[in-house]
Amino acid sequence: MNKAEHALHEIHAMNELAAMDSPIHRLGALAKVVVTVAYLLVTISFSIYDCSGLLIMVLYPVLVYQIAGIPIRTCFYKLRIILPLVCAVGLFNPLFDRKTILVIGTLHISGGVMSMVTLMMKGIFCLLASFLLIATTSIEEICHALRQLHVPKLLTSLLLLTYRYVSVLLEEVGIMMEAYHLRAPGQKGIHISAWGSFLGQLILRSMDRATALYESMELRGFHGEFYYAKKNYNKRASFIYAVLWIGAFVVMRYVNLTRLIGGIVS
Amino acid sequence: MIEFKDVTFGYSKENEVLKGISFSVEEGERVGLIGSNGAGKSTLMKAMLGLISCEGEISIDGLRVEQKNIAAIRKTLGYVLQDSDNQMFMPTVLEDMIFGPLNYGMGRAEAEKLVDDTLERMSLLHLKNRQNYKMSGGEKRMAAIATILAMQPKGMLMDEPSTALDPRNRRRLIEILNELPVTKIIATHDLDLVLETCDRVLLLANGTIVADGKVEEILWNQELLEQYNLELPFCIAGIPERFKQ
Repeated sequence: MNKAEHALHEIHAMNELAAMDSPIHRLGALAKVVVTVAYLLVTISFSIYDCSGLLIMVLYPVLVYQIAGIPIRTCFYKLRIILPLVCAVGLFNPLFDRKTILVIGTLHISGGVMSMVTLMMKGIFCLLASFLLIATTSIEEICHALRQLHVPKLLTSLLLLTYRYVSVLLEEVGIMMEAYHLRAPGQKGIHISAWGSFLGQLILRSMDRATALYESMELRGFHGEFYYAKKNYNKRASFIYAVLWIGAFVVMRYVNLTRLIGGIVS
Repeated sequence: MIEFKDVTFGYSKENEVLKGISFSVEEGERVGLIGSNGAGKSTLMKAMLGLISCEGEISIDGLRVEQKNIAAIRKTLGYVLQDSDNQMFMPTVLEDMIFGPLNYGMGRAEAEKLVDDTLERMSLLHLKNRQNYKMSGGEKRMAAIATILAMQPKGMLMDEPSTALDPRNRRRLIEILNELPVTKIIATHDLDLVLETCDRVLLLANGTIVADGKVEEILWNQELLEQYNLELPFCIAGIPERFKQ
């Protein structure tokens, strides 16, 4: 399997995750989108020194991953390229902010270290929550939910078509790479002398396929609005899910539950 | 139902793909469109659906092929593409089948019932929730036909419908085509399929119709077929030469 086919396989694997059946998968997309957006907003709103307050936000992804039956390691594996970047966001903070803000025994923790850890946690939590949304909801359902939230159809169609065309592009790359390697055994990647023609052919082939796909959509009456087959979801459960989580996020934001639990335990 | 009057199309003056084509197809007729590679079969079908603009006059079900009538024409004529991968762009068969009816304003419940009925008629109910990329070539082909049937067209244009089908699925396709009470134009190199599903044949060569007649007049005419790079259907040609002894 070449790299393009592997990437395509990963996209298909995401579709399969979204097509699973679990209490979370059975909820309405709108509720899941709203809860995810609320989670992201609350998570990023924490102060950069409020590490202990932020820690409780891990509850949402951990709980929902369990209920949805999605192994959390799947998420870390899929996000293996982007996670180091997220973790690198506050990497230089300890160099600039050296003021001690916490002393544990003889250990002095500077503001820079604290903010670096908080930023890393925020990044990881946000990625976990976003991944959770796309692993439990198909792209069509997400776009439909966005339309319900009055996001312009131009944007939702663009999102959906981009997602579709990425697959088309990867398929074409996969086919061309396979054909290339069959006639160039032992070569790693595409030789520089073939890059120009490879890229040119790829663009032409992708355009051909994209045109055929678009024609097929037009022939079935497509006029900018995507319709999809709605799943039968439990409206009441979705509503309760959204209200409970948003309520929980508000409590987590304004009450330092980690400290509270720590105080009770000690 | 379909009428072509002196239709010409070309990517340039020197490279005309269709040259002054005129013919008509009555409602309910079953027409096989045959010809060698590059004869203009797919282009002719695209012209009927307004996917390319041609000189001359094309009318479908009394409507002239022009911008204001395009939506109505495309609802009237379903088009099964040569490559099912291009036809099936949604994640599941259900999503794909419901796409057309919903776009043409059908209610969701009615559209879902129509999908079920169509799949049942084609004995494909088991594919309903299947992910498109997980299906075999044959299954995809049958599902692609089902997506068009779900739009309840008055006529169907099919481009190489038997490609990628194993003999059993091909047989099933023939049965389905023969059961369909709609006008059909089938562009194919599979002359045996034409023999079993069509009453009339249009033979296209170099952008013109060189023969138009009953199936038995054209598909038995070895000289005519060979003149235009075709051969007798296998079932008429009989056992290959090397096995005759």
